[in-house]
Amino acid sequence: MSTVVAPLETGDLGTRPAPRYRFLRELVRKKIAMVAIFLITIFYLAGILAPWVSTSDPNYQRLTIEERLDTPSSVHWFGTDGAGRDLYSRVVYSARTTLIFTLVVILTGSLVLGLSLGLLAGYRGGYVDAAIMRVGEVLSGVPTLLLMLAISAAFRTRLNDVAFWLKDNTFLGDDARAIVPFLIIVGAALPFAWIGSARIVRSQVLAIREQEYVLAAETIGASTTRLLVRHVFPGVLPIFLVGISASMAGIAGGEIALSYLGLGVDPSTPSFGTLLGNAGGVRTFQEYPHMLLVSGIPIILFFFSWNLLGDALVDIVEPRTYRR
Amino acid sequence: MSQGLAGYVIRRLLWTVPVIVAISILVFLLLRLAPQDPIDSLLGQRYDEEIAQRLRAKYGYDRPLHIQYLKYVQNLFQGDLGVSTRHGDFSVAEVIVPKIRVSAGMNVMAMILVFGLGIPVGVYAALVRGSFLDPLIIGFWLLIDSIPVFVSAVVAPWLFALQLGWVDLTYEGVLHPNIILPVFVMSLPGVAGVARLMRASVIQVSNEEYVRTARAKGLRERTVVVSHVVRNALLPMVTAIGLSLPGLFTGSLFVELLFGIPGIARESLQAVLGFDFDVVLGLVLFGSVLFVLANILIDIAYGFIDPRIRITAARGA
Repeated sequence: MSTVVAPLETGDLGTRPAPRYRFLRELVRKKIAMVAIFLITIFYLAGILAPWVSTSDPNYQRLTIEERLDTPSSVHWFGTDGAGRDLYSRVVYSARTTLIFTLVVILTGSLVLGLSLGLLAGYRGGYVDAAIMRVGEVLSGVPTLLLMLAISAAFRTRLNDVAFWLKDNTFLGDDARAIVPFLIIVGAALPFAWIGSARIVRSQVLAIREQEYVLAAETIGASTTRLLVRHVFPGVLPIFLVGISASMAGIAGGEIALSYLGLGVDPSTPSFGTLLGNAGGVRTFQEYPHMLLVSGIPIILFFFSWNLLGDALVDIVEPRTYRR
Repeated sequence: MSQGLAGYVIRRLLWTVPVIVAISILVFLLLRLAPQDPIDSLLGQRYDEEIAQRLRAKYGYDRPLHIQYLKYVQNLFQGDLGVSTRHGDFSVAEVIVPKIRVSAGMNVMAMILVFGLGIPVGVYAALVRGSFLDPLIIGFWLLIDSIPVFVSAVVAPWLFALQLGWVDLTYEGVLHPNIILPVFVMSLPGVAGVARLMRASVIQVSNEEYVRTARAKGLRERTVVVSHVVRNALLPMVTAIGLSLPGLFTGSLFVELLFGIPGIARESLQAVLGFDFDVVLGLVLFGSVLFVLANILIDIAYGFIDPRIRITAARGA
């Protein structure tokens, strides 16, 4: 969103870049989008490199009066929490939890489910279309958090049994205790993760399949798969990315909300939800403001970056409504 | 119009019924197949097998699942949503209606605030597009939107109640001034969405021919903006307002939790944690039906507002 955007040069047709790269070129021109991408990259790098950039074991407790609820210092950059755990390391590992969760939900929910259901609905039409869209409509109508809570709560009661069974009978070992609750919240998020992208993809497919080049490809006998992969999919991609970046904050927020309520990840897994939950209420904030600030500010910046990026991407994909 | 409209509404409702039945069965199974039931959470530490058996027999939880479901549906058609095991067998309606009133009261105020702020902000951003003000304004509201409620619902009370002393934090009813802070905390994040939608809509309308005509025939800029641009740009707001209607009755969980407001969202959480079968199922069904109704209302409203849009049964479900 630079301040003044010059109108597109349309006079010299010979030098116009291929439309495929237009999306990237315009993105690079937007300073705010680049700042957002930079912040998101830092956040994700911190998550990926958590074991190397953290300064301490995120779960190591220091139960002495000097080291509990310590304010930020050169030893503990973000201070320590009520159990004397190093908050900087916990924030870094929380970024890792957010990273894995958003990646898993986007890949399985938005990409696999959403894209395929959207393509199917838009391309097949008729009852397939109506059925998919109606299910999506009603699912987006049920109180999402309530149903996520119900799914999470219903599966949690057997959690320990499953985790111990996995620990004893598979290669997972001690990781089982962290993985099982994680899978539960992924399962709780999936029913809602596909709707938005399926809707976007469907409407794009409907528009694109009437385009002449698609009709032409169909006429010369291109197979359905080839049509979808070669012609429809590339046209859908940019707006699909917009949809994902717009839903990112919501997906990450789902895990944080569940973990905040104690129905999300295992308590031993650092998460922004548990961090913010531990930072507690108004009185705790007055006494130990660092706990809320060091975990709140990274997550605010994370949401803000995705929101800014989403806004900038809409600008690029729908120039008619935005640039003037 | 009435013929086509009636057909359209009937088609949509017919499509909706199987989906809502499917959802109710899924939620029903989800709750019943969980290895815990309301009796476990009711008795807790005092769990005694004999008492549990008698309580399960009393609520019918010992019968086969399909019988339980059919019984539930049968009662549902008689307007009976079942009883709340956590509230000494008060009916679900008796438990949730007062809480819904509290949440709805707050949400009406929040909604007025969201749209009352979002629409002018969006119009202004659209009018100053091209200058640095536009991205600044939208960016500011996006930042507000990015603050999770469980951060703002801690920092705002700390600032306005403990530091500045402008408000108290006790809940004294929906009409007491103390409600202002929670209402602001829950509504301000929503302004960005409305503002962006309004901004896009205003810009789109500004490019229409009739706006150029209005300018060309020498109308004052103010008249053009107010009665030609903004009036027509408000159309997409019908969808936004319509879609936010069901939210009026579901409440805002973290605001209710952190401000200690006895609303429906808090009740929902406690119902889920206590495996209060009938309350959870009732709330899910209530929410789904409201959403479907809101969607149909939106479509009907469009027919009235914009005569170019005609709903026909042929348009499909």
